Formats: sequence, C-alpha cells, structure tokens
Amino acid sequence: MRSLSFFFVFLLSLFPILCFSFNPESPTDRRVLVLLDDFSLKSSHSIFFNSLKSRGLNLDFKLSDDPSLSLQRYGQYLYDALIIFSPSTEKFGGSLDLAAVIDFVDSGHDLILAADSTASDLIKNIATECGVDFDEDSSAMVIDHKSYAISGTEGEHTLIVSDDFIQSDAILGETKIEAPVLFKGIAHSVNAANSLVLKVLSASPSAYSANPESKLLSPPLLTGSAISLVSVVQARNNARIMITGSLDLFSNRLLRTAVQKSGSQDKYDKSGNELFVTEISKWVFHERGHLKAVNLRHLRVGETDEPAMYRIKDDLKFSVEIYEWSGKSWEPYVADDVQVQFYMMSPYVLKTLSTNGKGLYHASFKVPDVYGVFQFKVDYHRLGYASLSLSKQIPVRPFRHNEYERFITTAFPYYGASFTMMAGFFIFSILFLYNK
Amino acid sequence: MAREKSSKGNAQALFHSLRSAYAATPVNLKIIDLYVGFAVFTALIQVVYMASVGSFPFNSFLSGVLSCVGTAVLAVCLRIQVNKENKEFKDLPPERAFADFVLCNLVLHLVIMNFLG
Repeated sequence: MRSLSFFFVFLLSLFPILCFSFNPESPTDRRVLVLLDDFSLKSSHSIFFNSLKSRGLNLDFKLSDDPSLSLQRYGQYLYDALIIFSPSTEKFGGSLDLAAVIDFVDSGHDLILAADSTASDLIKNIATECGVDFDEDSSAMVIDHKSYAISGTEGEHTLIVSDDFIQSDAILGETKIEAPVLFKGIAHSVNAANSLVLKVLSASPSAYSANPESKLLSPPLLTGSAISLVSVVQARNNARIMITGSLDLFSNRLLRTAVQKSGSQDKYDKSGNELFVTEISKWVFHERGHLKAVNLRHLRVGETDEPAMYRIKDDLKFSVEIYEWSGKSWEPYVADDVQVQFYMMSPYVLKTLSTNGKGLYHASFKVPDVYGVFQFKVDYHRLGYASLSLSKQIPVRPFRHNEYERFITTAFPYYGASFTMMAGFFIFSILFLYNK
Repeated sequence: MAREKSSKGNAQALFHSLRSAYAATPVNLKIIDLYVGFAVFTALIQVVYMASVGSFPFNSFLSGVLSCVGTAVLAVCLRIQVNKENKEFKDLPPERAFADFVLCNLVLHLVIMNFLG
C-alpha cells in the first residue's frame, strides 16, 4: 500500500508540464502556482479562483511553507505565473525565496501579490523589488472617514470604498465598473518617477494610513490619493505584476456584498469587486493588451524583394503586422497612432502608419537626401498595452557617378564657356593664319 | 596745384605714348592680344557666377576656368614665339610655333571635355 502511494507520488512528480512565460507560440496552456497561508482560502476565495479556472488557467494550490515548493527544475520554469495569497508568510518553503520570485518575474512571468494587515517583511520586500512601497508601520491600515462602506457594525472605517480607477480600457476592460470597489487592508505608494508602475485604484483624498486601534500622535505619512490600493507594473519584458494591500479584495464576502458609500444615497446590490478583479486578472494574464508585431517589411516601390541597400531619394514602402491576443486567438490590432521612424541619430522621417483593418500597417515615403546607416524603428508604448520596440537596419548610399542627371543646370555657364573657348580657338587660328 | 596739373599731364602723356607704341605692333600680335583678352574676360564671368550661385558642380567650374586660363596661357606663349622683336626665338619658324600652339590646344580641350562632367 505504502509502496503503491510512493509509486504514484513518484509518477506525479515526473508530470509537471514544462512551460515558458507567455509564449506566443502556445499561449493557451498556462499553469499558475497559487501560494496560500492555509487551504481555507480555497473556499473563501472560490469565486475568484473559479473564474480563473473557467478561462483555462491551471491552478496549483500549495501552502506557502510546503517544503516541495519550487518554481523551476533543471533550468526550466514549471509555472507560467504566480499568485501569492499568503501575506503572513515569513519564509517560503522549498527552494522558493525572494530572489527566486524576483528571477521568476524578471524572466517574463506574471505575478499577483496580495498583502493585508498581517503582511510580513518578505511580502513587503517582494513588493519593494517590484517598485511598490508598502507602509512600514506594520499595524497601519487604510482608514477613510468619508468614503467608508456603510455596514451593520460601526467599525473603525477600515472597510473603505473607492471608485478612483485608472482610465484605461486595456487594463480594466471596456465595460465601465459602475459599483465602487470595497477594500480592507494596508496602503502602499508608488514612486512617481517610475514609469512602469501604474496606480489602478487610488484611495480618495480623505484616506490615510494609520493604526485603527491607537490614537494618532503624529500626522500619518501616507495620505489621500497618494495611497494606492491596487497597482500594476508592466516590466520592459512585458511581465505583468499586480500588487494590492487587501487579500479581502478577492474574497467571496466582498465580491457578493452590497455597497453603500458613506455620505451618498446610491446603494448598489453588488460591489464592483467581481468585475474589477476579473478584468484586471485578464490583463495580468495577457488576455488583453498583449501585442505582437511580425513581418516587418520594406521594399522599393515597384519591386517585390527587400533590397540590401537603398539609394538616397528612393521611394520605398514599409509594412508591419500587429496582432493582439484576445485570450483565444490573435486578433488584428486596430489603432491610428502607430508610427515608423527612419532613424539615424535622430528621426529623418516620422510617418503615421495607416492600417487596412486586418492588422497590416503600411506607409510610403522617400528616402531623405542623406546617406549613412539608417534604422526603421517602430516604438509603440501605450498605457496598458505591451510595448513594441522593433528596429531593422538598412544602409543608404549616395548616387553613383552615373546616377546624377546628365547635364546639371547650374553648370550650364561652364559648359557654355568651354565650348565658347573651343569656337574662339578655331576662329582665332583662321584669323591668325589668313590675315594679310 | 601745379604739381597736380603736371602729374595729370604726366599720366595723360604716358597713356598717349603707350597708345602710339601699341599702334605700331603688327596686326597678328594684336589679334593674339584680343584673343587673350577674350579668354580672361570669360574666366572672370565664370568666377563671378560661381561666387553668386555657389560651387556645386565644382569640377565643371574648374574645367570652365581652366579652359579660359589655359587658352590665355597658350596664346601668350604663341605671341612670345611669333614676335619678331624677341631675340630669344629668332631661329624658331613661326609655323612651328603655331603647330605647337594647335597641338597644345587639342590636348587642353580634350582634358577640359573629360573633366567637365
């Protein structure tokens, strides 16, 4: 019996499918490791987990101090994404630690990190490495006396309500989230100088971060809209990270509660939490806003092959195809602000590409009157979308000596002078010889 | 006052004597002088044109100016060799001088046509 179970475990341990980060070639099979403090989270957050499973994600639930935890084996990553719902863990089990998690993200994989008032230093350090700073005071929570959720118990106004969303259809989807979102947890701030971090849900101007049980002795450090409740980071390798200070944001209880904001008469039957976490998880797992650009082509007008070199003042045509992953297939991406640069130290030509609606973007222009080594550059960075940076190098040569116009107009006086001198020579020699 | 008048008178006397001396030169030398004057004038026109418009086809400019200057130089050489008052070339037949002149001009114009572009 024991040997049979041993054999089974042995077989299962050989089973992990080796996957890569969002792999454009096989984007539908994705394994996600979910780290929990205890397995009761599986039922208390079941709505969220079931919505993930229904979209085709393979969830692997493990306790955060499980000694068999590992993200990679023999250099290959075992999971495509990581969800850390274990805010009070001081140390991960197995081979997982802060460096392993950061390496996982640096290699292009996605991460959802949720803290709460029991957040340990490990969780706060992971967030700091990703660009988000939690409040250092470990007993502080976000308190808002003007924008809290009206509930049966009076409470300390730590269950707050927020509808200050980021304006981005890519991150939050096209449906407007009508009901506000309930939040209960700790505050974090993002560095304004960091261009990769975005505040998706900010606190209202009357919020502050302090210990709800003790009297406030000095003004709190984090206040107002500087407090971010949910932030996302899109790294330059298109890894997406979502960090929030409330594990309860995802819980069934807050997903199903009715909401009424203090001071307003609007009562919503259901909070905006479910729509919010569903849409944002779609964005984090690359089901929206993930672009790929293929087939960057350029050719001289009138030819069919890419030339190895252009000549100045040639006419050329440039085209590129851009697709967006819709969760199931690559759909053509339609936008009117994709631009191409013909660049050598500075862009000599900057043209907006026009699209045919099926993902093909094209433009025609004349090579400038400068020779050298140029690059076709397409740089496309938009809020919520994956960043595209393409470049292709091509040399441009000057005219060959037989490609100039045969008779240069400005040189006509010189031509005239030379021929006049020849005619003068003939006339002179006749006059000289035959004068009497 | 008197000195100015005398210097003016001197200049005028100088000019008249030059003119009468020049009138005494043979006709064929005068033809050569006219030819040289024409070549230098054409060169000057080209230089003024280049100064105003810019030197874009520089090779054409050089070729045009060289044709004028070369013609002038060869004509001056011809004049030296043909002038009967010149003791140095007393034994040189003027036909030989003219033949040299023609050959050099042929080479000059060949070079000009090539460099003109």
